[in-house]
Amino acid sequence: MDIISQLQEQVNQIAGLTFNTFGTLQRDAPSARLSQNYPEPPPNPTEDAASFPEQPKQMSAALVKAAKQFDALVAALPLSEGGEEAQLKRIAELQAENDAVGQELQRQLEAAVGSLSNGTSPAKQQQRIEF
Amino acid sequence: MATATFPPPPPFYRLYKDYIENPKSAPEPPPPIEGTYVCFASSYTTDDVLPSLEEQGVRQLYPKGPNVDFKKELRSLNRELQLHILELADVLVERPSQYARRVEDISLIFKNLHHLLNSLRPHQARATLIHILELQIQRRKQAVEDIKRQREEAQKLLKEALGTLAGQ
Repeated sequence: MDIISQLQEQVNQIAGLTFNTFGTLQRDAPSARLSQNYPEPPPNPTEDAASFPEQPKQMSAALVKAAKQFDALVAALPLSEGGEEAQLKRIAELQAENDAVGQELQRQLEAAVGSLSNGTSPAKQQQRIEF
Repeated sequence: MATATFPPPPPFYRLYKDYIENPKSAPEPPPPIEGTYVCFASSYTTDDVLPSLEEQGVRQLYPKGPNVDFKKELRSLNRELQLHILELADVLVERPSQYARRVEDISLIFKNLHHLLNSLRPHQARATLIHILELQIQRRKQAVEDIKRQREEAQKLLKEALGTLAGQ
């Protein structure tokens, strides 16, 4: 996949990790004590309490890793040329060079066909040029 | 049941009855459309340009100007994004009712990020064009060299053949 698409995928992945992180933590968080007036919150079911403290750590590690991956991808962007004008100028140069080389190629081809067809009929010569 | 479920094809086919004998008796195909056109009740434009953020009503966070330093802006937007995510986590812990502003900020940063990446696409297209032109020039030069070499070899062979024939 080209680098810009990879960058776009990475941005979407960061967004996905963000809302998954907040959503999961909000849904699975154990009850917190709001004020001294209220009694202790009821004890949590065991499944939550077992793996719960690791979840924020794992999720935030994943977020940081995704962000670092994004930075690495940005560093890998091949943005060498300085701006649009430089690129357009280079395209014009390459087109001119391409035309020159194309004409040279055409000349060589015609010379080759000409030297090949010394002694053959015009019909065979025409065949060769069409090929 | 007797009615057709699909509409009949448009009746233009009758105009092309004598096309085989006289190709000019039938109408020309319509010219390509320019500007905006309406297709299935929504309007499209033939001018493929990325609308700027202001036109979409989104505030632009990175500086405007002719040449934006994409890498720097992308990196700083990434850092801002991380900071905003941390802020959102804090707000959810301490003042949970004020999440909306933070969420808006985060989505603004995402929109800016995607707009920056989209505006890199024309640059990518031009770079691809440059690469293709360079490849083509290289191939043509190679072909010129090959043809020259083959011509010289053919000439050499002919001369040798002439020489051996004449020697006999």
